[in-house]
Amino acid sequence: MRYKILLLLWLVTDICVFVISYALAYFVRVGFIFSSDFPFDLYIKSALLTAPLWLIVLITTRTFALTRRQRTLRNAAYIIYCALVGVSLFTLLYYFQYNAFFSRLLLITAFIFSSGLVWIWHSIFEYILRHQLYTKTQFPTLIVGVTRESRLLIERLNAEKNPIKPVAILDGRGCKDTEIDGVPVRGKLNKLEEVLQEGITHLVQCSDLEQSLNLLSACRQKKITYMLLPSVLGMVERDEKIETLEGQPVTMVSPKENPLMWFFR
Amino acid sequence: MHAFILAGGFATRLWPLTEKRAKPLLPLAGVPIIEYLVRNIPENIPITISTNAVFKDAFETWAQQMNRDNIEVLIEHTQNDDQKLGALGATAQWIQNAKIDDDILLLTGDNYCGFSFDDFIKAASPGTTLIAVHDIGDLEKAKAFGTVLLGEGNTVVGFEEKPKNPKTTLVNTGCYLLEKSILPIIVEHARTHPDDIGGIFEELLQREKPITCFAFSEAWFDIGSFDAYIESTKALVGKKTIIGEGSVIERSQCEGSVVIGQNTNVTDSTITDSVVFEDCKIEDCILHNCVLDKGCHLKGVDLTGKMLREGTYLQKK
Repeated sequence: MRYKILLLLWLVTDICVFVISYALAYFVRVGFIFSSDFPFDLYIKSALLTAPLWLIVLITTRTFALTRRQRTLRNAAYIIYCALVGVSLFTLLYYFQYNAFFSRLLLITAFIFSSGLVWIWHSIFEYILRHQLYTKTQFPTLIVGVTRESRLLIERLNAEKNPIKPVAILDGRGCKDTEIDGVPVRGKLNKLEEVLQEGITHLVQCSDLEQSLNLLSACRQKKITYMLLPSVLGMVERDEKIETLEGQPVTMVSPKENPLMWFFR
Repeated sequence: MHAFILAGGFATRLWPLTEKRAKPLLPLAGVPIIEYLVRNIPENIPITISTNAVFKDAFETWAQQMNRDNIEVLIEHTQNDDQKLGALGATAQWIQNAKIDDDILLLTGDNYCGFSFDDFIKAASPGTTLIAVHDIGDLEKAKAFGTVLLGEGNTVVGFEEKPKNPKTTLVNTGCYLLEKSILPIIVEHARTHPDDIGGIFEELLQREKPITCFAFSEAWFDIGSFDAYIESTKALVGKKTIIGEGSVIERSQCEGSVVIGQNTNVTDSTITDSVVFEDCKIEDCILHNCVLDKGCHLKGVDLTGKMLREGTYLQKK
């Protein structure tokens, strides 16, 4: 519930940030006055109409996903792309409504402001979201399998206060550690049912490939989100991608080539 | 004589088949593993089955349906692997609490023994501990078991637990006849080595207590892993299909050793060397070397070498 409320708040504040960035662009380009040649009310009305459409585009980039880091270049690229779509939509809406054009520099300024402010706001909100969700353990997560990859994952999730918070570890082969980075090792897979009863919302499989069907089945039965580390399949170089082949999802690892040739892979 | 069957393990290697079921109650060719042992024990010998609190009800229900009134289910009060008494610990506790002063036929509940226990008991000589051994015929395979070293005749002179370089292919099968005079040694040894059932025989040898072996050539399976379960099913079932009551197989092929549990429907599928438990529904699937626990629903999937937990739904859309 806390997550849903925070997410709704994030969406609403994003609309506000978008509109504010457009208002700011107006004042920067037109001056800190309300021009009678280029009325602010008509301008901001178009920005208000554009905002929900822009938000829909932003949502489709999955930037609000729980697993997305906001302060990454990739995420910044998505936000910039959406800001560009936002400016285009705004231009069209303004023209369709008032049959008039205006300063191109204003559009560029609005684009820069909406990109920058939204990205900054997303970084701030991510911090708030993580703090709220991590401290209240909103997404208790079970880690299956003790490997170097899973140790690293647990340490990172804890260090970054990720909302997906590891609360228990099971290991199919039996692990000698009693805890990893403060997360208790509860035993072998025969304790799965018992651990899943404790309100687990996410399960990350980090080894025991032969049990993936059973872990997936348990997750489906208990409505738990299942995740799989690619290292379980032997992919440790972080160059895998999820693609589709005639509509069927496939995990793809391409041969290493000149990075400039990525388009031709 | 009193028979004591060890059935207190949590069988984590056979997860998920043992998630809600004790390994000795796992059906092997349609019959619980422990039932093969119990049927083989002479009627006049009382049987005590030692298990843990988690599987208490399942063992009691199973014991009630056996047409035998001298079966007692003894509960170790443990909820998980960490609290286990240990095989020897459980035996010693029972000897003390039940004040046993009799020879004991000690059996591990997850083993299938093809030989007659009657012959085994008859092979015992007074004052001697008897161990059933099986020639596994392969030094490589012997590495996974406890091996038994023989001296003159059938006299046991040594044991090696999972040796790296086995000297023999004779392996300990978890079937022992303990002479009543050694029971105090068991109780004493269990205090320091509660989980070391093999160790008691080394202790007996050190104390110069005679141990002899009963070598048999009939089938023997230690059902400790998925592969062992499949292999023992193949050996017991042969190249045929066992179909449980109320099950329907339509437009499907069953090849090799196949066991289908009760009330299971198989349609348009090919099943090879697999075990399907009760209440499953399989449609348009190819299953090879698989074990499906009860209530699995599969449609349009191909699986090889998989153990599926109870209630798995895999339906390709």
